[in-house]
Amino acid sequence: MTLSRGIKRGFVGAALLTIILVIIGLITSYFGSRYQLRLVYSTYVNLLVVLGLQVFMGNARITNLSHSAFMGIGAYAAAICVTPVNIKALSLPNAPWGLNAFSLDPLSSALIAIVITGTVALLVGLMIVRLSGIGATIVSLAFLVIVHSLFLYRTDIFKGNQAFFGIPQVFNLASVIALSAVVVFSVRIFRESKWGVALRASADDEVGALSMGVEMYRLRLIAWVFSGMLLAVAGIAYAYFLGTISARPFYFNHVFLTLAMLIFGGMRTVTGAVLGTFVISLGLEMVRWLETGPVFLGIDLPEALGLSGIALGVVIVFTMALRPSGIMGEHEIEDLVLKK
Amino acid sequence: MLELSGISKTFGGVKAVQNVSLCIQPGEVRGLIGPNGAGKSTLVNLISGLLTQSSGVISLNGVPLDGFSTPKRARLGIARTFQNLRIFSSLTVHQNIEVANNIGQSSGRENDNFLKNAIEKFDLSEKLNTSADSLSYGFLRRLEIVRALALRPNILMLDEPAAGMNEQETAVLGDALKWIRLRSDCAMLVIDHDLRFIMGLCDQITVLNMGEVIAEGKPNEVANNRQVIDAYLGEDHAIAV
Repeated sequence: MTLSRGIKRGFVGAALLTIILVIIGLITSYFGSRYQLRLVYSTYVNLLVVLGLQVFMGNARITNLSHSAFMGIGAYAAAICVTPVNIKALSLPNAPWGLNAFSLDPLSSALIAIVITGTVALLVGLMIVRLSGIGATIVSLAFLVIVHSLFLYRTDIFKGNQAFFGIPQVFNLASVIALSAVVVFSVRIFRESKWGVALRASADDEVGALSMGVEMYRLRLIAWVFSGMLLAVAGIAYAYFLGTISARPFYFNHVFLTLAMLIFGGMRTVTGAVLGTFVISLGLEMVRWLETGPVFLGIDLPEALGLSGIALGVVIVFTMALRPSGIMGEHEIEDLVLKK
Repeated sequence: MLELSGISKTFGGVKAVQNVSLCIQPGEVRGLIGPNGAGKSTLVNLISGLLTQSSGVISLNGVPLDGFSTPKRARLGIARTFQNLRIFSSLTVHQNIEVANNIGQSSGRENDNFLKNAIEKFDLSEKLNTSADSLSYGFLRRLEIVRALALRPNILMLDEPAAGMNEQETAVLGDALKWIRLRSDCAMLVIDHDLRFIMGLCDQITVLNMGEVIAEGKPNEVANNRQVIDAYLGEDHAIAV
């Protein structure tokens, strides 16, 4: 038996996706306006989130609604570490535990943020992985609410809905594309690894997998923590590009948006995650244009505020009703070019 | 050697298995028969750790399995198939086998040639890259057995492997199981209602009725046992042993 066959196909698939990601980035860099550059950057950040979500949700097939919370933890942890002391003296004058008395370089800050988020994910994961179905989803939702409440009410640390400013803007489009490529490879290799295959087996049939020796809860925990760390990376990329963060982007709207991306593309595959992110991002931009009440083909369209929320809901409803496994189903991109 | 000593299992007030003791030697093929509701599948679930016995001891090669989870028992070499198929439908045939193969290898019971030959014997070589959800019922049954074999088990428990098969398919399955027996020292515990199939395959047969062992012995002894005829086989049974 050639046991590494899946891994080889995974490398091919990840390479093809990386080529597409780089091409989109290059086209935007050369031809895009400043606004479009920003838009594409946020799409890549959302791609990191959706890939992080896919690692757990796609392989264990347990719906997670707390991913934006982990992104927020990563973003705030990095922001607190990296922001210069003189700025923190202004923005966080009452910060406890000496959080405003030190400042680290961006790389160290990012690594610390990933470790902190991974540790939090481990603690939450110990509870979540033993639950299945709706139980796990409700716990993840509760965690999202807890974290958001902390962001809002510990203003001495997170500044709540006010802007946490002064984060060095060390990331650009090239950095986030490079990061996306690394994450695409990591997520794809995880999916095809013996852990990923066993986790997918347990999602198909728990009892069957347990009887084949699969340590299902341990594998779920590994995927959950890995997912949390990737979401931290997304948060860091977000903070290091914008230079300013607040609690609001790490809550329901973002959960809903990224969930729609994954569901639409197909949660079971990495290609689905990539496809869903780009199609929904593009589609949403068109809907936002429609929201403003533009003149289209000579017709003065009315203003339609809230249309983007409706559109996302409709995408989720129709995908779940007509094609629950998303556009890609079980297919990865290399299935188009390689023999099965 | 798998040994069950005084195993009982009750669900509320219902005694599903009562004081069952049996011993299966390496390489032995043991049949487990009895009417529906006799406790056969419950016994397999107890051995594989999906259920916990109310009393008694189950041990494998002298090691008591009390407190061992189902995955841990699988890693020790207790493999099984299910009455209702439990295939990993989103995976390919190859990946289905790979899941168990990785566990078998990590447990230090490697035998790549045996597995390769088993894949051929069960006619799955051409199907390795096929998605499991597109296989016919007969192939799914075979896949479940090969997947269990990939664990390199000490004991393989087959819960109604011939269910839903026609006479010809059952004969091919019987031939394949005899092949396993010749090429490994894996013991087998086989549950089935096809008596011709089971009598032709097994060295020893244990008969359960209402959770209790009512007979045990060679196929011809069991077939002529009055208690077994009354409880399960009926007067007009005609089994060539």
